[in-house]
Amino acid sequence: MRRALNLPRPARVRATAAGVPVEVDGRTVELVRESWMVEDRWWTERPLRRRYWEVLSTSGRNMVVFHDLGAGAAAGWFAQGA
Amino acid sequence: MIVCVHLPRFELVIAAGGPRALAGRAVALAPLPVWSRSAAPPAKSEGSAADAALQAACPGGRVGEVSGAAEARGVVRGMLLGEALARCPDLVLAPADPVRVTEAWEAAISALESIGAAVEPARAGLAYFQAEDLRGLYGGDGATIAAARRALGRPARVGAGPTRFYALAAAVAVRSRRPLVLDGKDAQRWLARRPIGLLGFRAETEALLEPLDRLGVRTLGELARLSRGALADRFGRAGVLAHRLACGEDDPLRPRRVRERLEETLEVGDASSGPALERVLGVLVDRLLARRERRGRTLRAVTLSARLLSGGGWRERVVFRQALCDRERIALALSLRLRMLPAPASALGLGVERFGPVAGEQRALLDEARAVRAARLREAVAQVRAVAGVDAALRAVCVDVDSRVPERRVMLAPLADR
Repeated sequence: MRRALNLPRPARVRATAAGVPVEVDGRTVELVRESWMVEDRWWTERPLRRRYWEVLSTSGRNMVVFHDLGAGAAAGWFAQGA
Repeated sequence: MIVCVHLPRFELVIAAGGPRALAGRAVALAPLPVWSRSAAPPAKSEGSAADAALQAACPGGRVGEVSGAAEARGVVRGMLLGEALARCPDLVLAPADPVRVTEAWEAAISALESIGAAVEPARAGLAYFQAEDLRGLYGGDGATIAAARRALGRPARVGAGPTRFYALAAAVAVRSRRPLVLDGKDAQRWLARRPIGLLGFRAETEALLEPLDRLGVRTLGELARLSRGALADRFGRAGVLAHRLACGEDDPLRPRRVRERLEETLEVGDASSGPALERVLGVLVDRLLARRERRGRTLRAVTLSARLLSGGGWRERVVFRQALCDRERIALALSLRLRMLPAPASALGLGVERFGPVAGEQRALLDEARAVRAARLREAVAQVRAVAGVDAALRAVCVDVDSRVPERRVMLAPLADR
């Protein structure tokens, strides 16, 4: 038996039209600290394409969320410690 | 291929004294009563006075398994006791008997293991095993199922399928002694037509039945058509699991490890409660510690059980903070639990559930801090596992620390016992 640590968990994110998160799980975003793109396994049938956002909420909480840009059931917003 | 063995209404049949006691009678399993210290439990009878007393002793209690006749009168498992009696005034309440249920279920599991199966017991009356492992012994899945039936020696509903949930759905659906085996593409279509009530057989998804019913979701197919993300958003982890099950996915089988059983029982006679019962407990501890099979090992977890004078039984699992073999300390720890006994006992039992290391280990001449720390860690891991299961303590293994995908950096792997 072996399982991964730090698996993504679904998050409720409200974002602008440009895709910048403004609210994460009911917490208003104060500042976007960093954003980066992860593309991997593009050579397989299940490529991974994520836009990560490291944000700071108004309560001072640091959060990392990503928008899964892949097609299919997995698409959506997720929270994950980076 | 996973095989599911389902013995319907197992706890109720044991508590009522056999399947014949349920034939044509409205019987329900009563919750364990909490008698007040001043009031004695009523004599064992099936009259309305006894039921009324039982109802008074179980405020807010819910009935357990119910017989077919009770179901026909509108009584269902989990219904409030007051509502059940209002719907069916002549409902007979059978006191729960966890001790006899555990004994009977252990005998059934041992019977399945005797044919060579690695069994995962889900709950009393429901067990799974892998049929592929036994093909070499019996020649095929059909012959394996037949061998399991013979070993059980009682009528059971048997279903088989590619996962546990398929097997469970098949076992619940089958109405004859012939097993229902699901395989191939038709299995998914068949599962989609099954009612969501099947989720009630899993503790993690049992609570979803009511909200899903209110939302108008009736079958697993309707549930599977919902978005997994939406279910996760509404119901959390339980919603994701329910969706996985409805789509035919399930976790692999986790058979139990065969354990050594060591048990002592005593008829208590007049010493049915109070200090006299504590002295009986002391005798039980002495007998257990004197058993040769213990081979000097300490006790980490034990089970204290009792048959009650008023009928039914009581069972309590006790995990010691530290593995013990000292008679006084064991008796002290158990006497506190003995005070939770809901009614005077007619017999008391004490069984070892898990052993600790051998007592009297020789200490090193020089204190080695590292060895001491390692021993403490082992002890802590063993205690955590005894309380919360094998998966409660895992080891984090760095697989690809530089990976850009966070979940690929570290994996959780089983921690070696030693």
